[in-house]
Amino acid sequence: MEKKLEKKFIDNLTTGQSELLSRMRREKFENYQDIETPEFKRIKLTDNKIPEYRPYNKNYLKDNTVHGSIVVKKMTDSLNNEKEIIEYFNYFSDSELDSGIDKKYTLLAESLYNAGLFIKAPAGEKFSIPIEAVYEFDKKNKFLIDNNLIVAEANSNLTVVFDYRLNDKNTEAFHNGLTRIVVKEGAVLNIIKVQRLNDKSTNFDTNISVVENNGELNFIPIEIGAKSTITSSENNLLDDGSSASISSIYFGDGDRKMDLSYRMNHSGRHSSSQIETKGVLKDRSEKVFRGDLYFKKGAVLANGSEREEVLMLDPTVKSDSIPALFTEEDNVEGEHAVSAGQLDENRLFYLMSRGMDEKKAKMLVIEASFNPIFEKIPLNDLKGSVINEVKHRLES
Amino acid sequence: MSKKTYVEDVNREIFDNKDKVKYKFKSQKGLTPEVIKEISREKNEPEWMTDFRLKSLEIYQDKKIPEWGADISDLDMDDIITYIRPDAELQSDWNEVPEDIKKTFDSLGIPEAEKKSLAGVGAQYDSEVVYHNLKKELTDQGVIYMDMENAVKEYEDIVKEHFMKLITPGDHKFSALHGAVWSGGSFVYVPAGVNVEIPLQSYFRLNAPGAGQFEHTLIILEEGAEAHFIEGCSAPKYSVNNLHAGAVELFIGEGAKLRYSTIENWSRNMYNLNTKRAVVEKDGVIEWVSGSFGSKVSMLYPMSILKGERARAEFTGITFAAEGQYLDTGAQVIHAAPNTTSNVNSRSIAKDGGHAYYRGLLKVTEKAHHSKATVSCESLMLDNESHSDTLPIMDLNNDNIDIGHEAKVGRISEESIFYLMSRGISEEEAKAMIVRGFVEPIAKELPLEYAVELNNLINLELEGTIG
Repeated sequence: MEKKLEKKFIDNLTTGQSELLSRMRREKFENYQDIETPEFKRIKLTDNKIPEYRPYNKNYLKDNTVHGSIVVKKMTDSLNNEKEIIEYFNYFSDSELDSGIDKKYTLLAESLYNAGLFIKAPAGEKFSIPIEAVYEFDKKNKFLIDNNLIVAEANSNLTVVFDYRLNDKNTEAFHNGLTRIVVKEGAVLNIIKVQRLNDKSTNFDTNISVVENNGELNFIPIEIGAKSTITSSENNLLDDGSSASISSIYFGDGDRKMDLSYRMNHSGRHSSSQIETKGVLKDRSEKVFRGDLYFKKGAVLANGSEREEVLMLDPTVKSDSIPALFTEEDNVEGEHAVSAGQLDENRLFYLMSRGMDEKKAKMLVIEASFNPIFEKIPLNDLKGSVINEVKHRLES
Repeated sequence: MSKKTYVEDVNREIFDNKDKVKYKFKSQKGLTPEVIKEISREKNEPEWMTDFRLKSLEIYQDKKIPEWGADISDLDMDDIITYIRPDAELQSDWNEVPEDIKKTFDSLGIPEAEKKSLAGVGAQYDSEVVYHNLKKELTDQGVIYMDMENAVKEYEDIVKEHFMKLITPGDHKFSALHGAVWSGGSFVYVPAGVNVEIPLQSYFRLNAPGAGQFEHTLIILEEGAEAHFIEGCSAPKYSVNNLHAGAVELFIGEGAKLRYSTIENWSRNMYNLNTKRAVVEKDGVIEWVSGSFGSKVSMLYPMSILKGERARAEFTGITFAAEGQYLDTGAQVIHAAPNTTSNVNSRSIAKDGGHAYYRGLLKVTEKAHHSKATVSCESLMLDNESHSDTLPIMDLNNDNIDIGHEAKVGRISEESIFYLMSRGISEEEAKAMIVRGFVEPIAKELPLEYAVELNNLINLELEGTIG
């Protein structure tokens, strides 16, 4: 695209939208164009191209889940609270919390988003029914950039579920998401993200959070699909007693390539974090897992732990694990652990001695390993279909 | 505010006495093909070695300084004198070693070690071996233990076959530099089936200001042979930045077993950019025992390549980083054959603004089915001025494996102290016990006199209240 055309393009894209947000998008678009598209060398994603912009026209918000005093708005609508949104956006940008998987992709999401939700749980309100966003892809809607902002005000309690899915086998979809999360004092926020794109699609997803004092964020990413998926979750535990957990599942089959980065930045005293990742690799799938625990100076009595368990089912898989501990404060407790290998033969043998065939026994052991994380999916239908999908892929 | 745990720095006094510099030959500063040729001529080397040096120099000039890891921008390569031969010819009798050199070695305890029936002493003073002795019984068994310079001439074929084949000049800038200017070091050859029961010991020293040390250690163990090699390092303090870019190549034959122990205690202005590699054939074993205490900057990642079936590697290491030190160390293991095993156990202590960094690699290739590996890293932080980082990389390319990794960071736990105190032990003693316990798994792997030196080096003195 020529420069002039590009300007016209972004102007058209933002016509009829809130003025301040449109201006911000135009600025971000300029920055976006100045940056090269990165290579992801470890998973050999080097000829990485961002496809041409297309609109996304499906309704992704399940309206019946919006209830009570909760505020839920689509980012692409004309917003009467754009000042508030811009303030949050600037807060993330100014505090340099916006790196995510790569600056190119966060800028892409900030400028060219064609979907996204602003969700705010008012102070003190507890919502037992999760908000659901279903981003479904099809032939006509195969390009999605969602820019989400979720704010849990003080002492609120909220669960949000994102479901990215594409059933059609032939559509090559592209997803780039950015979700920024603010958990205020004493609030509890649970976010579940399920990614089930087909084996031809590409998935990029950045999640960045700040957690204030005694706030709690529980992030549950479940990665089952896509040809290549590059995701990150970066969490900033700013104050006293801030806590965050990541409980994740990844499943690799076929030629899937996965690059998953999780990071916990501890600045607050008594802040705590937990990363628990369980994965299965079969066929020729490749995975890179990076988990960073970073204890900044002053994060007195902080504790962080990280654990990855990977089951490798075929000799052709590839698994990289790079867990890191960075410590500037002595009065902390940090630990990480990785275990990798095949299914426990003793367990398999036991089950088989009970008359189960090998395939079934394997399935049972894997299910048992994944179950504690599946149990965190609050919607029974979604949970059931995720479990079935994993089963189906294990069998094929 | 509670008072922080206080651990006294390593007592460096006896290591910091420098002798007057007295030289026969001093190469000019900076690196040119002429300097390289001069070094080679002075050493009276065969032509292939001169060519090898020149080729390495070319690679060196092409390569960039690595951008990851420690900051080594203060290092002025041109300023480092690459070759200084001490004013002493090779000695076989201790009495003939010059007095001032002897004095320094005396304070390092080398003749003592000799008396304690160590197999041989190859003490490197600046760039060449000045004292060498090998027990007659070993010579009778066909064991060769000599300085590298003479090995190049006397055992040319063996050296040519192995020299810088495991660490090549193309690996990185400092291995290229090493290939160009290497000087001194030890050559060990143990024939098939021979078990060298007493440890072979070599003590390296740097003494000239601005002098780099580029010693080359080449150890070859034939089938079923066994040996223990001990390398110790200590250098007096100087204000000019010093560089150590040695190379250690270990060839462990079928069913052979080598233990390689190192205590590195360079003075606090040293850039220790050493490269160490071992290749292990079928049923062979490499055991690394490594203590890193000195230097301003260390980047040291001993690599074990498990090439033959059932080969095994063990790495036991401790790093103590105090004020002004950036010690970036770790083990690399490549499982390249079926049924290979490796165990890595690393401990680090950081205090007074020191930066301890564990950076490791565990790679399992497609071929290495039924491999087992464990990596365990523990870091102790003694205050919040210091940094402690752990970055183990695991690169797994086979499913039929069993891999475990664990890392922990923290300070002395208050609970442990309270527990011990509730048993009637004083607070100071409780803390001392905990720190000793932390170091113990490494200390117990060292030969006795080195374990004593380790204790002296750490000289842990704890005072004050918890924290």
